[in-house]
Amino acid sequence: MRFDLNIRVSVLALSVLLALPATADVFVIAHSSVQIAAGDVRDVFLGNMQFAGGSKLQPVDNAPAQAEFLAKAMRMEPERYNSAWTKKTFRDGVNPPSVKSGDAEALDFVRRTPGAVGYVTSAPSGVTVVQKY
Amino acid sequence: MKFSHRLMALSISSAFSIASMPAFAQASDAEKMKALEQKLERSMQLIEQLSAKVSQLEKAKPTAAAPASGEQQAKLDNLERQVAQLGSGISSRSTDSGLPLHGFADVGLGASGENNAVRGKGSKGFNVGSLDLYLTPQFGSNVRSLVELVFEVDHDGGVATDLERVQVGYAFSDAAVAWIGRFHTPYGYWNTAFHHGAQIQTALSRPRFLDFEDKGGILPAHTTGAWLTGALGLGDSRVGYDLYLANAPQLQVDGSVSALSGLNAGALSPLAAAGGYAGTGTLNMRMAGSTKFRPSVGGNAWYEPAAIDGLRLGVHALGAEIGDDSADLNRTRLRMLGGYAVYSGDRWEVLGEYYGFRNQDLSSGTGKHSSWAGYLQASYSINRLTPYVRLEKTSLDQKDYYFAVQESGRSYTRGSVGLRYEVDPKAALKLEFGRTNQRDIGPGLTDNYNELRMQYAIRF
Repeated sequence: MRFDLNIRVSVLALSVLLALPATADVFVIAHSSVQIAAGDVRDVFLGNMQFAGGSKLQPVDNAPAQAEFLAKAMRMEPERYNSAWTKKTFRDGVNPPSVKSGDAEALDFVRRTPGAVGYVTSAPSGVTVVQKY
Repeated sequence: MKFSHRLMALSISSAFSIASMPAFAQASDAEKMKALEQKLERSMQLIEQLSAKVSQLEKAKPTAAAPASGEQQAKLDNLERQVAQLGSGISSRSTDSGLPLHGFADVGLGASGENNAVRGKGSKGFNVGSLDLYLTPQFGSNVRSLVELVFEVDHDGGVATDLERVQVGYAFSDAAVAWIGRFHTPYGYWNTAFHHGAQIQTALSRPRFLDFEDKGGILPAHTTGAWLTGALGLGDSRVGYDLYLANAPQLQVDGSVSALSGLNAGALSPLAAAGGYAGTGTLNMRMAGSTKFRPSVGGNAWYEPAAIDGLRLGVHALGAEIGDDSADLNRTRLRMLGGYAVYSGDRWEVLGEYYGFRNQDLSSGTGKHSSWAGYLQASYSINRLTPYVRLEKTSLDQKDYYFAVQESGRSYTRGSVGLRYEVDPKAALKLEFGRTNQRDIGPGLTDNYNELRMQYAIRF
């Protein structure tokens, strides 16, 4: 009964959260080996900046946080972002960032992968926070 | 406690709501009062039961989160890792496994009123444009590759398969990426930005003079050679460049005697007219090399000012010694110099390119010949609709072997208006009307004709 009530309360809380406008913070994070500035974020995620300090950058998208990230950090609509990557891939042979399923996977990837740059919605540890939006 | 209060308020509200149900409307006052009292009694009992249950649950809950012990922390870390691994199993990937495959396709219908002795009659009816598949496998941090295969329908309805691009590269840095192979010739903007990607270009059609070598283009849209490209930041602005050294293309004539050679003999280069092969040649980019290496050298430099996001300004040049395989073996020094300005904003897109030619006859001493071609296109997006307009014009010297021999080397002016509708982010429906004034088909001869075309283009 208690378990059942907990589930109900969790579902209710989740419903309320989903119904709220997206106002979460977005933390752009990088592997500790990466040296980039906040002003580089747009270029990194559009494939214009693929190297930093001699190492190859590996940007990754975070599916649940992508719309928030694009609005706050890139100032782009998702359609325009995807279109920009289609053109980039077609012209330059550069593949778009892989898409992670959420904060846990994005954070885990960035922690473990030299050159990785990603974003999460809660204050992370074990990575470099490039910028909070 | 707050939860208990909310629950109680909810229950009382429910009780009063239930109490006011119309089922009692026909009962007497006494019966009504009795029923209400019973209902209220049951509601109060239910509230008391629920309150007791909530209190019991709250007492059972730990009062404060105790700091995780080492063992608990290890369990949490392990759980977090498992969640991440679970996520990695369901997330989409682009580079870390498999072979990225992308593509374009377009189909449509159209009607062209073109009808002249040189270019023949325009086509009418349904048509298949092309199916374009391209792969971008990555081999590591620096090695890149791009392979593109195109299935294209020609004028007669046959399907031609083209190894469109096969380029293998090495990225030294953002400022220096070297490619070798067959690639889209990096002149101007349109040729590398859109090429076979009908869905990513706003308009239905390309400017005719920038079309493919066998479809009306006057420049080698493809090149086989080596290409160095890169871009770097200049403060908040960006600059970029392309430099390439490649096999010079060759003009291949089909051996027939063309109508053009007779109709416009006075205006054409003398040997091409006398030989009867004027207007029968197409550019072959010599993908397998030649018995004698003739170089083609070109470059492109652009600047994107930080002050206007979406603006790119560029200059480009191409030089090559181009021979034909006619009996006269004409040779021309192609010298092209041009510029372009492109603005791509959220709503407006404006494209303008200019190509100037100063070609030199190397085989029969007719000297230098000046020609030019250009277009200007503008579009404005309103939600899913994008109306657009384009003007294009070429003025090509018919004494120049380079244009005289080419099937597509006649001057023309064309105005087009169109409407694009985004069916979804990866599919577009386009309707385009164009009016063309075809020149250089004989003294006093012109052909003014209309075209109406529809296209359904997708990307994947």
